[in-house]
Amino acid sequence: MDATLYLLQQVINGLTIGSTYALIAIGYTMVYGIIGMINFAHGEIYMIGTYIAFIVITGLAMMGVDSTLFLIVAALLVSMIVASAHGFAVERVAYRPVRGSKRLIALISAIGMSIFLQNYMRLAQGSRDKAIPNLLPGGWEFGGDGFAVNLSYMQVIIFFVTLASMGVLALFISRSRLGRACRACSQDRGMANLLGINTDLVISMTFVIGAALAAVAGLLLGMYYGVVNPYIGFLAGLKAFTAAVLGGIGSIPGAMLGGLILGIAEALTGGYLSTEYKDVVAFGLLILILLFRPWGILGKPEVEKI
Amino acid sequence: MKNMMRKSLLALAVGAGMTSLAAQAEITIGLAGPVTGPLAQYGDMQFIGAEMAIERINQQGGVDGEQLKGVKYDDACDPKQAVAVANQIVNDGVRFVVGHLCSSATQPASDIYAEEGILMITAASTSPAITEAGYETVFRTIGLDSMQGPVAGNYIAEQAKPERMAIIHDKQQYGEGIATGVKETVEEAGVDVVVFEGITAGDKDFSSLISKLKRENVDFVYYGGYHPELGLLLRQSRELGFDAQYMGPEGVGNPDISKIAGEASEGLLVTLPQAFETDPDNADLVAAFEAKNQDPSGPFVMPAYTAVYLMAEAMKATETTDPYEVADYLHENTFDTPIGEVQYDEKGDLEEFNFVVYTWHADGTKTEAQ
Repeated sequence: MDATLYLLQQVINGLTIGSTYALIAIGYTMVYGIIGMINFAHGEIYMIGTYIAFIVITGLAMMGVDSTLFLIVAALLVSMIVASAHGFAVERVAYRPVRGSKRLIALISAIGMSIFLQNYMRLAQGSRDKAIPNLLPGGWEFGGDGFAVNLSYMQVIIFFVTLASMGVLALFISRSRLGRACRACSQDRGMANLLGINTDLVISMTFVIGAALAAVAGLLLGMYYGVVNPYIGFLAGLKAFTAAVLGGIGSIPGAMLGGLILGIAEALTGGYLSTEYKDVVAFGLLILILLFRPWGILGKPEVEKI
Repeated sequence: MKNMMRKSLLALAVGAGMTSLAAQAEITIGLAGPVTGPLAQYGDMQFIGAEMAIERINQQGGVDGEQLKGVKYDDACDPKQAVAVANQIVNDGVRFVVGHLCSSATQPASDIYAEEGILMITAASTSPAITEAGYETVFRTIGLDSMQGPVAGNYIAEQAKPERMAIIHDKQQYGEGIATGVKETVEEAGVDVVVFEGITAGDKDFSSLISKLKRENVDFVYYGGYHPELGLLLRQSRELGFDAQYMGPEGVGNPDISKIAGEASEGLLVTLPQAFETDPDNADLVAAFEAKNQDPSGPFVMPAYTAVYLMAEAMKATETTDPYEVADYLHENTFDTPIGEVQYDEKGDLEEFNFVVYTWHADGTKTEAQ
């Protein structure tokens, strides 16, 4: 009984981190699906989203707002808007001018952007950890005498907000006009352009959507962990990128699945082996997938177009 | 032709600038530590201590009429950047260094200083490995993990008496070193250490580790590392209903841990250098810090002050700025300093340094543990 409860607890822990990997992974996967480049500055957008959420929450709390719901909604909206603006600007400044050139050039431009954003936030906010108190403390506890499973409100919120965001995004891609344009662009950008689709707009929108979801992840994780510093984007971006590749880069359900698998694998390794092996297993999984199924779990093998 | 003129004028200006620098007769002391990065607040402790010493020595006429000048170098507590900083210090012709701060940064930098004949006094690095090489010009004004570990270990074995203990560290030179030291002491005393594991510095999620500690029925956790990770461990333990007693070394003793962990930081045990700011002999110095609105209670403030003070005393006594002669003088004499009586062994370690166990409070203050 205790063993089952313990497993359940670790799966809950894994689903929580996995959900946030998935939210960030969407940004990588959408951009890759449409323009075939890896946006390495995406982790930084997540970091900026967290900062904005913190600033809004502490600012409003200082002005005497004490409704938690209002604080969260305001932080969510503002950080989504600011992060989207950053996503849009990054694409215009760093990627559009080099779009026609070789892949390597866009990649280096992306890494440069990532370093720039990290240092820009460091100069603006300082390098110390900033912390906010827990807005939604508490949760449920259940289980036997030996081991009690804890499920905090934040964990539940993180999981369901991620599911809902993914659902909305899937609907948007499959049903809306812009979503159809996105799919057309990912199939053949040149042809889509010839048929009258404004591909520049579609690409901008991809960056905006990815950034908005990263801001959601920023707010959720910021509230869950309670701290932010200018360096959190790197590790989060790396893990989310791994999740995107694992699930099949370019595939949106793949990002969700990849994130969850990665999160659960990490939690189980930490729980049954040792925390020291957590990253070994995470990146070992990535290597295995790249060896045996380079297009990822849900991705499609790339066919060379002649 | 016009260009030529401009260039030669520029060269003249540069030349003039250099001579004016040389004419000021200053002794530069490099202050190396994290100005940026997540551990920058420890760097601040070191910098305010050293700068206060420089200011006070200069007010009293400097060293043989020459003024001291502190120049900050940022290593961000990163071993790679520390090497770059050390090389820059060599290139800048600086011959005295107070720093570095993190043991993993001090270690590679000290090799370079020893090779180049630069005198280095670290006010914060406690890893024993740093002085093990036996460099002539490397000193510290703080104790070693091999002194701190047993203080923590004995407190755990004699006062806390845990039934099932866990030891967690951040896999870095400082954190893992002290965690291993504590493990040895408590195991000798018969405490049952059921978990000994490393986490990754910079990680944010410790839920799977905490769940594991909970399943193992751990009632006492010692953490070797710095405050950002321990703060999150405390916060997430509270969330997950795990209420063991936590303890950490001086790298966690910083008001920021209370900001991160909030209420969960109440009652945390920390081993820190003895509170020098409460020593009546230091009242004048403490007042000077407070007049500048600086906090003298940070664990590295007084050691950094002492590092500069020792350099100045030795330079005055030997009437030279040759690092080797200054080092010899430091090895051979005993000094009365704000951190107590300082006497060095042949490796450059303090003969005596006291660590004390404190209880940390949620408002960022500390009291001596019972």
